Amino acid sequence: MHIESERSAKRLVRLKVNGRWREDAVGQNELLVDYLREVARLTGVKTGCDGGECGACTVLIDGEAVPSCMVLAVRCEGRAVETVEGLLSQGRPSRLQQAFHEKLGAQCGFCTPGMIMAAEALLRRNPNPTDGEIRTALSGNLCRCTGYVKIVESVKTAAEMPS
Amino acid sequence: MTALLPQFRLAHPRSVSDAIATSQENAGSRFIAGGTDLIVNARHGLGKSSLLIDLSGIRELAEIRASDHGIRIGSMVSIAALTRDAATSQNYRAVKEAAEAIAGPGHRLMGTVGGNLCLDTRCIYYNQSEWWRRANGFCLKHGGDTCHVAPQGRRCHAAFAGDLAPAFLALRAEVEIAGASGCRRIPVGDLYVEDGSAHLTLAPDELIVAVVLPPNPPPSSYAKVRVRGAIDFPLAGVAVALAAANGVIQSLNIGLTGTNSRPFLLAGTDAIAGRPVDEKVLQQLDRLVQKQVQPMRTTIASAHYRRLAAAALACRLVASLSAAKEA
Amino acid sequence: MTIKLDGKARRQGVPLIDGIDKVTGRARYTADLEHADALVGRILRSPVSHGEIVRLDVSKALALEGVRAVITGDDCPHTYGVLPIAMNEYPLARGRVRYRGEPVAAVAATDLETAEKALGLIELEVRALPAYYTSEDARADGAVLLHENKPGNIEREVHHGFGDVDRGFSEADLVREATITCAEVNHAQIEPHACLADFDPLTGRLTVQSVSQVGYYLHLMLARCLEIDASRIRVVKPFVGGGFGARVEVLNFEIITALLARVAPGKVRMHLTREENFLTHRARPQTDMRLKLGMRRDGRITACELHVVQRGGAYAGYGIVTLLYAGALLQGLYDIPAIKYDGYRVYANLPPCGAMRGHGGVNTRHAFECLLDRMARELLLDPFAVRRANLLHAPTRTLNDLMVNSYGLAECLDKVEAASNWHNRIGKLPRGKGLGMACSHYVSGAAKPIHWTGEPHAVVNVRLDFDGGVTALTGAADIGQGSSTMVAIAVAETLGVSLDRVRVIAGDSAVTPKDNGAYSSRITFMVGNAAIDAARRLRTILCEAAAQKLEVPPEDVDCIGEAFHVGGGGQSSIAFCDVAKAALVNRGPITVTGTFTCPPEAQGGKHRGGAVGSTMGFSYAAQVVEVTVDEATGLVTVDKVWAALDCGHAINPLAVEGQIEGSVWMGMGQALSEETTYADGLPLHASLLEYRVPTAAESPPIEVHIVESNDPNGPFGAKEASEGALAGFPPALVNAVANAIGIDLNALPVTPDRVVEALVERRRGLRLAAARRAAS
Repeated sequence: MHIESERSAKRLVRLKVNGRWREDAVGQNELLVDYLREVARLTGVKTGCDGGECGACTVLIDGEAVPSCMVLAVRCEGRAVETVEGLLSQGRPSRLQQAFHEKLGAQCGFCTPGMIMAAEALLRRNPNPTDGEIRTALSGNLCRCTGYVKIVESVKTAAEMPS
Repeated sequence: MTALLPQFRLAHPRSVSDAIATSQENAGSRFIAGGTDLIVNARHGLGKSSLLIDLSGIRELAEIRASDHGIRIGSMVSIAALTRDAATSQNYRAVKEAAEAIAGPGHRLMGTVGGNLCLDTRCIYYNQSEWWRRANGFCLKHGGDTCHVAPQGRRCHAAFAGDLAPAFLALRAEVEIAGASGCRRIPVGDLYVEDGSAHLTLAPDELIVAVVLPPNPPPSSYAKVRVRGAIDFPLAGVAVALAAANGVIQSLNIGLTGTNSRPFLLAGTDAIAGRPVDEKVLQQLDRLVQKQVQPMRTTIASAHYRRLAAAALACRLVASLSAAKEA
Repeated sequence: MTIKLDGKARRQGVPLIDGIDKVTGRARYTADLEHADALVGRILRSPVSHGEIVRLDVSKALALEGVRAVITGDDCPHTYGVLPIAMNEYPLARGRVRYRGEPVAAVAATDLETAEKALGLIELEVRALPAYYTSEDARADGAVLLHENKPGNIEREVHHGFGDVDRGFSEADLVREATITCAEVNHAQIEPHACLADFDPLTGRLTVQSVSQVGYYLHLMLARCLEIDASRIRVVKPFVGGGFGARVEVLNFEIITALLARVAPGKVRMHLTREENFLTHRARPQTDMRLKLGMRRDGRITACELHVVQRGGAYAGYGIVTLLYAGALLQGLYDIPAIKYDGYRVYANLPPCGAMRGHGGVNTRHAFECLLDRMARELLLDPFAVRRANLLHAPTRTLNDLMVNSYGLAECLDKVEAASNWHNRIGKLPRGKGLGMACSHYVSGAAKPIHWTGEPHAVVNVRLDFDGGVTALTGAADIGQGSSTMVAIAVAETLGVSLDRVRVIAGDSAVTPKDNGAYSSRITFMVGNAAIDAARRLRTILCEAAAQKLEVPPEDVDCIGEAFHVGGGGQSSIAFCDVAKAALVNRGPITVTGTFTCPPEAQGGKHRGGAVGSTMGFSYAAQVVEVTVDEATGLVTVDKVWAALDCGHAINPLAVEGQIEGSVWMGMGQALSEETTYADGLPLHASLLEYRVPTAAESPPIEVHIVESNDPNGPFGAKEASEGALAGFPPALVNAVANAIGIDLNALPVTPDRVVEALVERRRGLRLAAARRAAS
């Protein structure tokens, strides 16, 4: 029997992932989250809901934090995508990663990559956010463990660390 | 893989005319703006289309231009960009407040003005998985012949839940629409009809190019009720534009969302003009709203609540705008 | 990075030992495991609520190219379940379906699209039976039975009486009743359910990696359902993205994935959608309660009578235990002289309920603390004073024979009362603002395990090898609560070595000793004690080796700061690694086994069901909640929470704080916005849009105070910290709303529509009263 997937129209897409350009044949109906997890094998990008409800898949596209489960991969042609894996530099965790670790911003850790990416975008445009600004910036990222208390603390701590 | 999206192709027109031509050449195609509504629905098997026409490459649609004739907001301007636009924020507060209250930060970055105006209507019997809808015998809006909200009725009662439309309505904005036969400009209210399964008056090959806000707007404000402080769609949303002088109402426009299959401008506010904002006027307004909204059981919160909340928000906004004016 | 347990680390705590993996994204959860060569599993679910399967034809699905296995109820004739006495569920329905969403068949195919297509080709015909969605309908005369051996659709009734209730009520100055209902809620852990099963047909071995909180249960059920010798099964726990009770019971999809892997045969991955997570459910049941309390003028409680009906869903699951907890946990918090409890667990055609954080006690506590406040108000007593009038005095045993050896509730009350500035603010806030408080408690592990094997209740192995590395092996599942870090600290503290010398390997049945799992907050108390026991045994061996080298008696030697000293003095010492090498001479690598067993006196009363609620020690909590109520929109905003919890001793204060904050906040979700309702058995809240887990935007600051009562049996004096504070939040919130707007709400959650309806109702009542006054 003939299988639908064989007919799926793929397209060559060039995008920058965590600072490195790559080119892949991508289905036109393929979501960025699936491209990142299955093709680029960046499994720090998580899936927690059935579409746009939890923020676990949040990545940066051209520096802005968006849920990758609502983005078609082919629409990222020529754009820069960053995931939590890309925040490590020379094997050292970023300020946010360090702060989330030390302040227990991560318990089960499943929302953590998305949460850190949302916070990363915030700190890039607003290096000294207030509690309210942090809460607003993270309001699309659900966490079930922390009650957000230590997450807000982690972001504040990261903002105060020397970069 | 996360989810199975239906098979489709993407087209990337560079101009509005290209986009419309592509649409005309491909029956069953759809325009895609930010995708925050379309993609999520597609993942649930809703709004299938063989060709998506991506509007993000059309630069002219992503501009905000201020002039003596008001402000012209391109349909592909993102919600986040709208909240950051100084001219809009300063003079059209209801628009800014509505934009800030939309979903979560990620949705606001991706979502667009045009997309928010064209949001699909929502219903607890519709925004479900294919398995769920099939188990329920589908519904009038999708695949079935009964509206489970009002089985005796003949129409779909799914509710419109966009936040921007009421603000545009209250501020008497117009939309510019491009189609095969050229451009037309209509009041925002004319974009919609009270039918949950076909609430937009746009032809399949028409697209919203811009929203035009008239100059010298009266003070305005937007508020919505929702259970959480973010993410949730409005259970009821109200935008008020109030012009007053010496405590007397000169003009009052109230846009509503979340309660009906379309956003609409409250009728009968003219009768209140010329009167001061006092208890009596607010009571009259409360009755007016309660009478005109038609919430049905399309959300988990009760229809009765949405009716009361819409009226309460309208009164509160009118009171606060008039108080701010006095101060 | 080096972590040393210096004074500061002891005071403030340490980060999780696996924290770096989580913040860098390299932690692999089940769905992240390498699955390029795995088949995709999908489940066909019943579209009807209740009915007999008339026809189930999978032939077309089997014929589809790319389909490697299709299974139905015929492939597994064995029931499964968490309670040996109540296993009445099949992984795939056999003969009858009892809820919408119940698994009926499953496929494994080369890709998701083919799997979905195959599901669509399965032909299912069901003859519908009457279905029941409320306890009342299910219990009605003539209702069709969901399970033939359960008349009245009642899974279990419990009737417990302790003390003289009638006398208690007759001695009361005030007797009041309340009818209170709590909506069904869900764990909504952010990681969706997933499983990866690998069956090797050449060796007959099965490896399953899953999201389980109790790998041991999964192991048992796989052996039972697949009829595979348990020795050929390996269960591995990858990183787990939260549990909260959802994953204590073995879940149908885990067994289904393994069944598919065997039939295929090969490797099958199963990733459930969020909707399927809600259909799998196993969370806190919708509960109707009628509570009656007697109180003396001074606030002393004289008697308590509680009637509970839990709508348990279609299968037994954990139901009996939930029902018993609801009664048992009336006790252990306050001194109550007489208690009567009547509980009913009812079957309905809905997804089965199960255990959820605060198992069984949360809704009971909610009703109790609400009514207590209302009666205090009537008697013009302060809410704190009423609680203080009923404190227990440790050590003691409750009426139902639960052991209370440490009791920090009084101190918890003092802390939150002072921190919230209660006495200067209560009654002086403007209209619409309110303060409320409540107390709560929870067990530190069920003292009697479900599976009675005669083994110790917890076992930890500790290894020492030539490299000087100390490896703790435990079956206890770290699901984000930090249990592996707790084990590492317990071992390092006991041995006197730095924390980074200790490595913890957890949750791999091929390597780690069996553990009863992450439930009922048992790990710190039981596994912590076992870890200390193991480390002590290793220390004894090492001290002997050091003593030999130092030529002193072993009892004069101690290890502090990675070196063995004589008598604590600094003059002669040997480094840890040198002692380790010495200890290995002749005996080789060392493995010691530490155990912990709850003594019989901790295992509860002799009455039927008396083991449920029994524990080595209760945690105690008090909290104050401050709210703002918008009377126009009904929206309740939590401005601030002050919470104090007696965890005996905070082994890792950072983690304890995190647990208290998380549990208080989860209580807030249940109190304010979370509920799962159904339309004719179809879930209306099966998404994270409609199931409203609070966002960061409306979540309040939570100020935590740790109270340390030093339990005589706890590891370093510790008790649980993860669940006790949850149950206090909903009543504290409802009490705060009453304080703010003068309305006592009887239903959870306190959504805006419920608040507005209550206000409308009050206005109607006032109008009617005014009309009556005018008429008379």
